[in-house]
Amino acid sequence: MTHLLSIVFCLMAFACLAVSMDRHQMMLFGRALRAGQTRGFRIAGWCGLVLALRFIVDYQGWALGLVSYSGCTSVSAGIVFGGLIVYERLSARRSHQP
Amino acid sequence: MRSARDSKAKGRGIRQSMSDLHTWAGLLAGWILYAMFLTGTVSYFKDETSQWMRPEQAQQRDMPDAALVAQRVVETLGKIAAGSTQWSFALPDERTSVIDSFWRTPGASKGKRAFESARFDPVTGERTTARETLGGEFFYRFHFQFYYMPVLWGRWLAGLCAMFMLVAIVSGVITHKKIFVDFFTFRWGKGQRSWLDAHNALSVFGLPFHAMITYTGLVTLMAMYMPWGAQTAFRTPAERAAMTSQLSAFIQPRESSGQNAPLAPVDAMVREAQARWGRDKVGRVTITNPGDSTARVAVSRGEASRVSMSPQYMLFDGVTGKLIEVKDSVGGAAETRGVLYALHLGRFSDMQLRWLYFIVSLAGTAMVGTGLVMWTVKRRQKLADPARPYVGFWLVERLNIASIAGLSIAMTSFLWGNRLLPLGIAARDDAEVNVFFAMWGATLLYAFVRPARRAWIELLWLATAMLAFVPALNALTTNRPLWRSIAQGDWVFAGFDLMMWAFALLHAALAIRVTRHRPRTKPVGKRIAARAVMPEREKESA
Repeated sequence: MTHLLSIVFCLMAFACLAVSMDRHQMMLFGRALRAGQTRGFRIAGWCGLVLALRFIVDYQGWALGLVSYSGCTSVSAGIVFGGLIVYERLSARRSHQP
Repeated sequence: MRSARDSKAKGRGIRQSMSDLHTWAGLLAGWILYAMFLTGTVSYFKDETSQWMRPEQAQQRDMPDAALVAQRVVETLGKIAAGSTQWSFALPDERTSVIDSFWRTPGASKGKRAFESARFDPVTGERTTARETLGGEFFYRFHFQFYYMPVLWGRWLAGLCAMFMLVAIVSGVITHKKIFVDFFTFRWGKGQRSWLDAHNALSVFGLPFHAMITYTGLVTLMAMYMPWGAQTAFRTPAERAAMTSQLSAFIQPRESSGQNAPLAPVDAMVREAQARWGRDKVGRVTITNPGDSTARVAVSRGEASRVSMSPQYMLFDGVTGKLIEVKDSVGGAAETRGVLYALHLGRFSDMQLRWLYFIVSLAGTAMVGTGLVMWTVKRRQKLADPARPYVGFWLVERLNIASIAGLSIAMTSFLWGNRLLPLGIAARDDAEVNVFFAMWGATLLYAFVRPARRAWIELLWLATAMLAFVPALNALTTNRPLWRSIAQGDWVFAGFDLMMWAFALLHAALAIRVTRHRPRTKPVGKRIAARAVMPEREKESA
């Protein structure tokens, strides 16, 4: 359960970080977000990562917590990456249809 | 002005040379590294694999009491290993249902094995009647010492490849100048660019793990690779023994007295250890000079839920049963090693963390695999005639096929061999390993004679079919088919069977992608549209 929750934390954090990047803003919204919004997402993303660390270390202690945290961040970043690819493919397919 | 230009030129220079280093360090060790990575990855489920490969050994529903098991095993060892100067056996845990034990063979002449081993049933304490197999232990041992070669050579080879890996990781990070900008970037259908994006994603997301696992892999065998420090610092046998005691709970036999004395009850000693660490937290029992008046019994703590492999054990007098010493901690340097060692093996993990280890390690395997394939993707565009590549290219491509698609087939064959080889044949465990290597060799020959693209597709489909058939084979040859495992809540067997299907799907997806990929202009090979790669991008991707 702890792992699942911290993966959810990390997923949201990485999603925010992805949204704070120009390339993904163009893909998701078709335009670049305003500087303030971008900064907001970036701050939210980093805070999310710190919170996830705090959460998992509270439950497992530093030794096991750091190991778990490394696994959770790697897997979550991979899921966000995969999600962006799927989203891009699907929207590309939609836009090809008449 | 001038200095700015100089430093720019210099910066480019180092990135280019690091890129070359990355390419060649990665390629030369790549095939072995891929095999080390994949067999190491599956070793995170070594105990589960072993359980699946010994279907006769019943599912362990409740954890047996370690103290009782220890006493039973000691009684058996007293019968079959009398006169040995050292016995050692692991106690059962949640993931193992057999007791692995080994003992020193008395008076073994040089060249003969100094240790004998056996597996016991925790319930009876007798030798297990399950089929003879190395189980998951084969992948685990292969991962760092290979097979068919002296163990020391294997370990040196593994260390050399791990060093190449470390070089490839560091040079790769330097080469990849846009780690943060390109963090989530994947450009679909852009040939070499797509391969590079995939390789980068697999490398960067798992970078903490990849760096850790490579470095700690070297640490596990550091005393062998670099013995000189210890040799210089510790000269007398006493000093050496003191160092060993910092590294391992494996106590060495002393000079025996020759006076017979019965061994005190071991279950009482294990109970003391249980009182200290918890009922199921006792790891191993090592007994030196059993039956002699100098007997010693070391009961060591298990590896679960502590991120360190440093020895923690209770030492008992084997005759009186009195506690002599409790070893609770080691020095700072030894503890650093203990933590790094533990990080590599991940034996402290609960099931969820074990899966995280497995998934990220699988990403590492894919990182090596994509790196190997990329070497050919990048060079194929520059071939004058793709139908007739130069020898180096031809060789790399064929070795890629055999080491990536072929290894999947070989590993699955090992499981097939486990189920299909007759139970009675001599040296059955070796026969399974021979099946593994024979099939691996066959895929290499196949890759040499078939056109590359066809070889990829056919071998990937063969791997898919073999993986998909494993649960059926298990249902046909054992009385533990998937439906019964699920009904009885035997998640080791059910999980293993289901993972075979998951891997089959993965291989099918790869096979379909290779099949669908149709190079438009050039007829041969798994060539991906190179047109889309713009020249300046090509440069930065180097």
